[in-house]
Amino acid sequence: MSGHGGSRKTLGTRAIQLFSLLVTFGVLYGVTRVAPELETHLGSVAAVGFLLLAGTLMSELLETIGLPHLSGYLLAGIIGGPHVLHLVDHHTVEELSPVNTLALSLIALAGGAELRVATLRSVARGLAWATLLQSTVVLVCVAGVFMSIASYLPFMHGMALKPLIGVSLLWGVLAVSRSPSACMGILSQTRAKGPVATFSLAFIMLSDVVVVILLATMMMLARPLINGSGSISLDDFSILGHEILSSVAVGVTLGLGLAIYLRLVGRQLLLVLLAIGFGLSESFTYIGVDSLLAFLAAGFVVTNLSDQGEKLLHSIEQTGSVVFVVFFATAGAHLDIPLLKQMGPVAVALCGSRALFTVIAGRISSRVAEDPAVLKRWAWSSLVSQAGLALGLSVVIEKAFPSFGAGFRSLAIAAVAINEMIGPILFKFALDRAGETDRHEPEARPSLVPPPVR
Amino acid sequence: MNAVAFLLGLLVLAYLGSILVGGRAIRGFGLASGAEYLVLGFVLGPQVLSVVGRSLVDSFQPVVLVGVSWVGLVLGVSYLRVAQRNVPVRRVFLGIALSAVVSACVSGAVFFGASTFTRLPRLEVIAFAAAAGIVCSETTRHSVRWVVERYGAAGPLSDLAADTARASALFAALSLSVVNAWLPGAALPAFSVLGRVGVSLGLGVVLGLTAALLLGREFRRDESWGILLGTCLLGTGAAARLNLSPLSATFAMGLTLAIVSPHRLDIKAMITPTEKPVLLPVVLLAGAYVNVRLPTALLVLVVVALVVKLIARVLCGTLLSVTSSAVRGAGSEFGLSMLSSGALGLAVALAFAVRHPGQVSDSVLLLAALGVLVGEWLGPGALRRALTRVGEIKTEPSPASAAPASAAPASLESRA
Repeated sequence: MSGHGGSRKTLGTRAIQLFSLLVTFGVLYGVTRVAPELETHLGSVAAVGFLLLAGTLMSELLETIGLPHLSGYLLAGIIGGPHVLHLVDHHTVEELSPVNTLALSLIALAGGAELRVATLRSVARGLAWATLLQSTVVLVCVAGVFMSIASYLPFMHGMALKPLIGVSLLWGVLAVSRSPSACMGILSQTRAKGPVATFSLAFIMLSDVVVVILLATMMMLARPLINGSGSISLDDFSILGHEILSSVAVGVTLGLGLAIYLRLVGRQLLLVLLAIGFGLSESFTYIGVDSLLAFLAAGFVVTNLSDQGEKLLHSIEQTGSVVFVVFFATAGAHLDIPLLKQMGPVAVALCGSRALFTVIAGRISSRVAEDPAVLKRWAWSSLVSQAGLALGLSVVIEKAFPSFGAGFRSLAIAAVAINEMIGPILFKFALDRAGETDRHEPEARPSLVPPPVR
Repeated sequence: MNAVAFLLGLLVLAYLGSILVGGRAIRGFGLASGAEYLVLGFVLGPQVLSVVGRSLVDSFQPVVLVGVSWVGLVLGVSYLRVAQRNVPVRRVFLGIALSAVVSACVSGAVFFGASTFTRLPRLEVIAFAAAAGIVCSETTRHSVRWVVERYGAAGPLSDLAADTARASALFAALSLSVVNAWLPGAALPAFSVLGRVGVSLGLGVVLGLTAALLLGREFRRDESWGILLGTCLLGTGAAARLNLSPLSATFAMGLTLAIVSPHRLDIKAMITPTEKPVLLPVVLLAGAYVNVRLPTALLVLVVVALVVKLIARVLCGTLLSVTSSAVRGAGSEFGLSMLSSGALGLAVALAFAVRHPGQVSDSVLLLAALGVLVGEWLGPGALRRALTRVGEIKTEPSPASAAPASAAPASLESRA
């Protein structure tokens, strides 16, 4: 993501960007119409180029109306994706999943590296109250809304009260999940500094862990309610405990290794990050370690136990400037527009209620924790976005409860699509209003002078 | 070996490549062409140890394609300049002419041999002859740079060697676009071959102009990466989808940037260091692709092509020694030095293998691989002797190099 927030580019520059965007769409449109058949594997090459270029240009153009870059990336993906122009098809979107793995690793690593102990201490009280209230108020209230509109959902027809409560609690957990990627994306673009940025980052990164624990708890409670038989088992907690501990242990080790590398070698960080993102993520999954948590811990260790945090963050920002664009544009291409249309009204109601209860919980927790005024006003703004984590939870729920899982997941996809589009806009708006956005353009320098032609 | 482990291996290679171009102290180590990685790929590949199986190699086809195209972009961007010096136009034409002559000789020999001694269909014979000619037309600029940096050479012959090596890339890039456009299976059936060549090069030019426009007046390095990578990948993917030549498209894109962008030197400075890290994994994959289990007639033709290339290069050098004062007295050595081939030859052969898989493309890849090895064996040593003969290097190596000079080939000395 190009990291600047100001909009100082001239009309001519914008015209060039629009022209280039049209060329980008035109080239791939022409090619896909002339040669609709795809050679194996090769379609992903053009798709990555297209998503990168179109995402960058679209974000630059949307910047003129105050929208975040992330919305531009998503929009480029939606327009070029399988449901609109079909420049990037379903198969290609699936093939680009390694980019998602890499991006999520970088996001977690950067998120951890942004969390300094001193900063966490300064917002600890607010963080604790917010975590408690956001997790309980939002979960319970959204579950209540879900129960009340369940009759409009085809997959809930004829469900008795107990299972209905169980499914509603699971939806409540889904509502509590946030989007670390959207938060990091907006902070990276705006280079925001201040209470809202700090609180948002710390809350969202920590909420990852909270949500995982909540999901295990709710699944444990929901299973007897939904299945009608069986008892509450603490095995899930044991497994979860092992996973969290091993993830933190592996992450700390990785963080120490990274800190040593950064200090002693400190070069070719792009390749090191690629190796970590592609290689280690897969290895972590294989050994049952939560890669998001492990990378979060690794970044945290680098920042807090060494003086290499800035170097790591700078490298991630450089690598991410390309990777994040493709990641979000792919997410845009992944959005199921027809499904969104089909489930639209119910999804809108659920998203609206989630946003409302998030604001209410935010206001209450800020008041109780005696947060600064700016936090009381805007602390909720980063909590609306949802993305990969929520979808991941829905997959887990679908697998655990096949009787209603497919419909549940479809609804989750539709709701996440809405939150994914609206959330980043709200967060950037809040950062702008809170005066935390950095409006300086990145430094440009005059080009090298070519030698005279002989 | 699974894909993740293989990918990590490739990243380690890229890391090594980045170290090889990273510091002055370490420059000049390793072989100029990267032939050792080619051999490593071959040994690990399906032909010898099978650590890397065929299906795994095939699954990395997009990586090969992107690597090959990126090499094309780097060659295009750096085509008109050697370091900070512009390549004179007459040298560009000389480099192209030398490539064309060698290519014609090799193509002629292969065409005659394949027509007479094999039962290949006419189309395959022509494809074999053309592709063999193209892979033999290149002289790698890394070989020249290797010798020049290692021995601190400077003078007219050093410049001529560097200029002609750089200029040879255009012939290969253009010719490959013609071959790809001519081969069956290309999209745009309503277009003539020339029209399809125009499309592949035009695609590169349009994307090059777009990138130049987007890079604008002020240079922002971080933003520039996204633009360059995006346009390069889009061009590569679009050309591949049309069954045209991605390498030619990205070469045209790079050349367009080199001509029209005010940031041409910044771009060159940005992307040139990426060549080696991209190249080494590609060279390793090329080694894994090499198939030596070919009919005897094809193997013989590969050897014949190599011999013809060698003779043609020596004759070209001898001819140059008559017409150019810089080469006078060192014609045959200079001709032999032009045998060195590397990135482009392999990239062309790989691109051809992806476009037209089969025994013919296997033969062409084998020819390219052997060309790299023979060129590595004879080329740098011959260039060093030529430069010594015309007095452009002293008998002692430059202070940057720790190893003593000897009569052994320069590439082997670096191992000492």
